[in-house]
Parts: sequence; C-alpha cells; structure tokens
Amino acid sequence: MSVTVSSIIVGVLFASLPLFPFISWAMGRWYQSRLMNALSEKEKLEGGSLQNENHLSTASSTVLMSAQASALLHVSICVGPSMGQIFFMWFKSLVGGRLRSYEVVLEYGRREVLFRLREQAKALGCTSIHNVRLETSVISFAQNQDSKRSSVEFLAFATGLIH
Amino acid sequence: MESGAISLFMSNVETIPGKSITRSLGLVTGSTVRAKHLGKDIFAGLKNLVGGELKQYTDLLNESRNEALQRMMMQAHGMGANGIVNIRFATSSVAAGASELFCYGTAVVVE
Repeated sequence: MSVTVSSIIVGVLFASLPLFPFISWAMGRWYQSRLMNALSEKEKLEGGSLQNENHLSTASSTVLMSAQASALLHVSICVGPSMGQIFFMWFKSLVGGRLRSYEVVLEYGRREVLFRLREQAKALGCTSIHNVRLETSVISFAQNQDSKRSSVEFLAFATGLIH
Repeated sequence: MESGAISLFMSNVETIPGKSITRSLGLVTGSTVRAKHLGKDIFAGLKNLVGGELKQYTDLLNESRNEALQRMMMQAHGMGANGIVNIRFATSSVAAGASELFCYGTAVVVE
C-alpha cells in the first residue's frame, strides 16, 4: 500500500520536472511584482524631507560648508531573477529585444538600494545626502561562471550631512 | 578616539564637511576576499526559485565590506590620521565562487 503511494508521489515529482521552469518563472513573476508593490508602498509612506530631490544629489560640492557633521553611508543588495526566468531568457535571446525579467529585477534592486540608503541616513540623523554613487557588479558564487545562480549586486554609497 | 573601536571622520567627498584638512597622508586601502558559505548557498539556491533579493548574499557582502572598511580604518589609524576622504568602493569576482571587496581613500588629518 505505502509502496504504491510513494511510487505515485515519485511519479508525480518526475512528471512535474519538465514543468519546473514554468513554475519557477510564474513564481518569479508573482513574487517580484509583490516586491515591487511593497517597495512602492514603502516609498509612498516614507515622505519626509529626504524625498526632496535637493536633498539627494550626486554633486560633491554644494552646501558642504554649512554642515556641522557628516557620515559615510553605504548599502548594498544582491538581486537576481528566478531560475525559470533565466531559462526562458535564453529563448528570448534568440530574437533579441527587451529582457523584461531582468529589467524588473534590476529596477527593483536599484530602487531598493536607494530606499535603504535614505533609511540609513535617517537612522543616523542626516538631513541630506550628497555625492551619491551607484555601482553594479555581477557576483557569481557558483562554481562555474555561466551558472544560472549568479546575482547582481547594487552598491550605493554617499556622504550624509547633518546640518 | 577610543582604543577598542576606531572612529574616524569618513566621507566620499573631497573634504570632511564642517572640518578643515591640515595634512594629507596618502592612500589607504582595505580589502577582503570572501567565498560563499555552503549552507547559506543552499538557502540562496532555494531563494533563486523565485528570484528577487538574495538576502544571504546581501548579508555576506555587507559583512565583508564592513571588514574591508575596518582594515582601511586600521591602516589610516596606524598612519596617525583621524579622517579618510574620497572613499571609493569596488567589487570584483576574482575567482569562481569568490569575490573581492575593496575600498580605498585618502588618509588625512583634520581639525
């Protein structure tokens, strides 16, 4: 009895194996859109003085003299699309064009890292952020370089000023 | 400045805002090369089913980058500096399964 049940389970698992990329793709799409929505909500709730674009700049030499103190801020985040999305990207690359899965993930990563930078600045009591630098790099922790498990790291660093 | 944790004035602009630089002591660097943690990598692999943020890697890189910063601060402290300006970070994959986190800046004396 239990042998048949276990064989059915094994059978179902094997039968669903070809579906794995589809499942992973669908789960990725669903999960990432949820992440994006959550981030949009957080950004809306945030409000405050740091939202003002005058207070977040890439310039290095404005109003530095009036500051009383400063702090170095740095945040990084690793993001990656799901395995299923990477699998289907291969097909997409046959014809070229936009890779939507990557676009979504990268946009999420960059917005999230800037959000965390502002959070960190607020936690330290900074009133403005200057000389923001954004860097992107590919981190491959897997043994073979062209593995499906590489991820993209976003690093943001800046100087927070306390006026 | 305490003996345990070194505290320096740090910024990634040319000056320390609100202070004046009296002396420049030259380049200081700090780096770490980190490999993945097998257990964490398995969890990250599971997370790869849905994509999004890979928290294990984020934590690992943050931890390593803080260590690189610590090393740079130690070096600057050893030179007698009390600040580091123009700090830059760089990340590179040096080998499969490992990445180098590197930071550099100019050690200065400020008052």
